[in-house]
Amino acid sequence: MFGLITALEQGLVFGIMALGVYITFKVLDFPDLTVDGSFPLGAAVASIMIFNGGNPFLALFLAAAAGMAAGCITGLLNTRGKITGLLSGILTMTALYSINLRIMGRANVTLLNARTIFTYIEEWGVPHRWVFLALFIITAFLIKVLLDCFLKTQIGFALRATGDNPEMARANGINTDTMKILGLSLSNGLIALSGALVAQYQGFADIGMGIGTIVAGLASVIIGEMMLGERSICMATFATLMGSFIYRLSIGIALRLGFAATDLKLLTTVLVIIALSTPKIRNLL
Amino acid sequence: MLELKGVTKIFNAGTVNENVVLRDINLKVDEGDFISIIGSNGAGKSTLLNVIAGVYPVDKGTILLDGRDITRVPEHERARFIGRVFQDPMKGTAPSMTIEENLAIAYCRSSRRTLQWGLNNKLREEFRQKLAETGLGLENRLNYKVKLLSGGQRQALTLIIATMVKPKLLLLDEHTAALDPSTARLINNLTEKIVLQKGITTLMITHNMEHAIKMGNRLIMMDKGQIVLDIKGSDKSSLTVNELVGMFEQAAQRKFDEDRIMLRASS
Repeated sequence: MFGLITALEQGLVFGIMALGVYITFKVLDFPDLTVDGSFPLGAAVASIMIFNGGNPFLALFLAAAAGMAAGCITGLLNTRGKITGLLSGILTMTALYSINLRIMGRANVTLLNARTIFTYIEEWGVPHRWVFLALFIITAFLIKVLLDCFLKTQIGFALRATGDNPEMARANGINTDTMKILGLSLSNGLIALSGALVAQYQGFADIGMGIGTIVAGLASVIIGEMMLGERSICMATFATLMGSFIYRLSIGIALRLGFAATDLKLLTTVLVIIALSTPKIRNLL
Repeated sequence: MLELKGVTKIFNAGTVNENVVLRDINLKVDEGDFISIIGSNGAGKSTLLNVIAGVYPVDKGTILLDGRDITRVPEHERARFIGRVFQDPMKGTAPSMTIEENLAIAYCRSSRRTLQWGLNNKLREEFRQKLAETGLGLENRLNYKVKLLSGGQRQALTLIIATMVKPKLLLLDEHTAALDPSTARLINNLTEKIVLQKGITTLMITHNMEHAIKMGNRLIMMDKGQIVLDIKGSDKSSLTVNELVGMFEQAAQRKFDEDRIMLRASS
């Protein structure tokens, strides 16, 4: 029961990151590796602000803004610099490693005695054991609904057409370069926001916390898609959150089975490989 | 209305593969012209349309639309007043989006896209009526994903998308070539209906000489990057396929030996 609550909390907070990955991988069809840098970027910005006594709500906002800037740079490298999508993301991610260290000033920042967003919420009278769950449920679903709505607007249609058929998009007056930059910014903004929340949730930010974020995000999107399909946008974003929960649950189970925490990246990778190749295996049979 | 002055397009300039695809093209298109373009493979027909649409920049020359120099205007901006239908039915629609979403994208073609809802019931009603006119039965499938449609249905949809907001210019690049004969006939009829009803200035590439003669008020034949024939008005309406072949051989100074061009409609 306790493990289930933890998996739910983690599934939701990392689910915000997975929604960001959904925007680039599924909507925009752009393999964005900025993720591994923008996730710790959000954590770094928020934790250093909070560590120094800043307002944690403002810290979340600034973390998201920093993530958007990172996504924007990947987009500019790809569209203006004519660098392939994959490499653009890798370049930004690598640069962010140094930038994140600069922001934090050291390899990790602990928030144990700092006033985080959770301190505030507890002071509003939410009992300690529900603080995380309450905030994460509200935030994750609010973002999911906002994203659903955005993808149904005129600009949202333009973003989806850019990923679905760029030639058609341009033939209908859509600036596909602008749309890519917009999608990457939104995606990395959400990912950095998730990083900022995770840092406060676990009580520290660490320079290495971004490693493998993209694979975890992908795992969530794919698991969700396999379980619930992608009939509509509303369903696909819900499936992504659900996939994130299942993913964290399986990680929890793996730990309980006696796997070392350091083995989890390998396990995740194997999980993604199985998930990605299963339909093909099924087709072969 | 549309004017090309000395337009030249060279692929792989300065290499051993240098290929002059358009050679000093001069063309004046009048308002309301419906021009069919024929020519053998490699004559430069598709490149001509792509250069007008802004897919590639030109190496020399200028393109004017309604007196405005659009030579350097990027593709997506030209798309605000130029509609296009491609040969490949997959190219003109967004497959994972629904029919109504595709039409809604076309609806915003010449206006600024905002955070308003992309669709509403008023728009859906408008789309339903437009689709009903095509007689393809798509009006009851507004929320179907486009990837579920057949090639002909997708091409009809692309035609509606391209003309949803009346374009100044409609470019059709062998848009029936990938379809079976009866579907091709249906799309051709729909094309004529929309173009004539709305009075859209149109350039249409076809590989079918009979269609080229039957449709439109003007016929252009291209060869080796140049316009070798330009037939208008009553000269065109009385034209026969044999006469056209003769005129081509005279103009191009060689035998007409193109297998791909169909002398007669196949249906």
